[in-house]
Amino acid sequence: MSNENREVILSIKHVDITFETGNKKKLVAVKDANFDIYKGETFALVGESGSGKTTLGRAILRINPCSAGEILFEGKRISGKISREEDRNVVRNIQMIFQDPAASLNERATIEYCVSEGLYNFHLYENEEDRVAKVDKALKDVGLLPEHKSRYPHEFSGGQRQRVGIARAMIMDPKFIVADEPISALDVSIRAQVLNLMNKLKAEKDLTYLFIAHDLSVVRFIADRIAVIHLGEIVEIADSETLFRYPLHPYTISLLSSVPMPDPIVERTRRHIDYDPSVLDQSGEKRELREIRPGHFILATSREYADYEYKLQSM
Amino acid sequence: MEENSVKYDSDLFEFASYDKDESEHIAAPKYSYWKSVWRTFVKDKFTVGVAILLLILILFALIQPSVSGYDPLIAPNINNSEMRFIKPCAEHIFGTDNVGNEVFDVVWAGAKNSIIISFVCTFITMVLGVVIGAVWGFSKKIDKWMLEVYNVVANVPFLLLAMILSYVLGAGMGTLIFVMCVTEWVFVAFFIRTQVMIIRDREYNLASKCLGTSNWTMIKNNILPYLISVIMTYVSRMVPSLISYEVFLSYMGLGLGVTKASLGRMISIYTSYMNGYPHLFWIPVTVLAILSISLYIVGQKLADAADPRTHM
Repeated sequence: MSNENREVILSIKHVDITFETGNKKKLVAVKDANFDIYKGETFALVGESGSGKTTLGRAILRINPCSAGEILFEGKRISGKISREEDRNVVRNIQMIFQDPAASLNERATIEYCVSEGLYNFHLYENEEDRVAKVDKALKDVGLLPEHKSRYPHEFSGGQRQRVGIARAMIMDPKFIVADEPISALDVSIRAQVLNLMNKLKAEKDLTYLFIAHDLSVVRFIADRIAVIHLGEIVEIADSETLFRYPLHPYTISLLSSVPMPDPIVERTRRHIDYDPSVLDQSGEKRELREIRPGHFILATSREYADYEYKLQSM
Repeated sequence: MEENSVKYDSDLFEFASYDKDESEHIAAPKYSYWKSVWRTFVKDKFTVGVAILLLILILFALIQPSVSGYDPLIAPNINNSEMRFIKPCAEHIFGTDNVGNEVFDVVWAGAKNSIIISFVCTFITMVLGVVIGAVWGFSKKIDKWMLEVYNVVANVPFLLLAMILSYVLGAGMGTLIFVMCVTEWVFVAFFIRTQVMIIRDREYNLASKCLGTSNWTMIKNNILPYLISVIMTYVSRMVPSLISYEVFLSYMGLGLGVTKASLGRMISIYTSYMNGYPHLFWIPVTVLAILSISLYIVGQKLADAADPRTHM
């Protein structure tokens, strides 16, 4: 798949995100993140807990400020200080699906209010009937019924609540959606339902997803391209087929080896490979993201790069 | 092996149809917040009894004085020594006092003023406190400034302030209300600020922010509905404590002047007749106690009922 002639919708340019932890200490949550997301794709960000994936996702929504670098949406800068109109524009076009559907819905508001909240804020309806019609349609799109409007979030099952969360984001007609582990809080039996719904809506509404996950088996199912993030650094970016077939970075290999197999016989033969950073080049040369094959980036020093190249050729 | 195998007769089974909409349907009856509050409240018969008693007491205190026409400046029986210090009997329900007034009339006129002052003060301090506290808790910038304001206002000695204000402004209902509100709101605001800070950073508020909701709408729809129960609890403690406060200030001579009936002044005058005519002291104190305690019980129960965790 050639990426040159595809339209870039979101571009993250050398973004650092740091948090001040008091005593003038700084916690670097994301270091030099640098990648593009193309229109219409599902881009997955994978990493273990605390690796900075949610932080990066929230930086796109302007919740976490970037301490260096910038984020461009459709060519316009959306990080740092921007005008109020541009901020409203970001809210209109970039929406988020949250991890925990129970925590992310207002328990004291009806589903009708939860779903119409965005409509009220931007006055995206002509009259009251139009608003109700829009809410009905949004609920129908996610497989819920209009009669649910007068209900409260605690009356719903986890999967239904997550679909309310999706309806709330979709009613804004966004172009880009940050899905922050949208299925990790859900029961295994309804994960597929929500993923299929997300795929269906993506096709219908021409959406682009940034899918944040820690579960590689899910990512393989939904993502077009995958970025692996480790301790705030993006170590490898590739389209999902390539990443699963030719993983290069030792951390990616370790992460892939930890995916459980559904077949008990195969699972018995699976060996988990621990990530050992000592195999990396210890010369102290600064690592940078290098393109080893078209569309396949890897964080490496020049010596590591040569090693990876050798490994790729022998694969 | 033979025993374990079960033969299924296909006639016994039939295919069930799958209805997608039906599987999404919620069978539970519709939930309404205020209806559930009411249902939880009336479930406890004792509280309902207390609430009815309280309602009767309040209504009686508000209506009886205009029927009796009691005025502390007019003592019609002051020169009739036979009308003084009559013990409670059928004709004089609560007896009469040192100037020959019906204690019954005096008690209700005093209770009326105490109730009005307490309710008005609670309303003013609650509105001020909740609005300021909600904004205070929500904005980190305002928090820095408001904490300094709090430190100053909260450390003003209350009694001293009450004395100075009542000397400067003159005793009266307006002054008393002003004195009781002028520092009290800051405590309510501080309490609300802490409550707001607890729920401010919850994920649903982040979600609202992502949808472009303004801070004011967020306070109104995301924060305050969660605080109904704690606000109720606060009110239920505040109303009786302000009644006692009014009594205390009037007892100290800082509250209502001689022109207005007051439970506090009444208790303060009648204390001197404690030995010979104890009913003069105990009747207003009992009315005060019944009012305070029943207000507290009803308020606490309302606060409990306002918490949706009790609605199950």
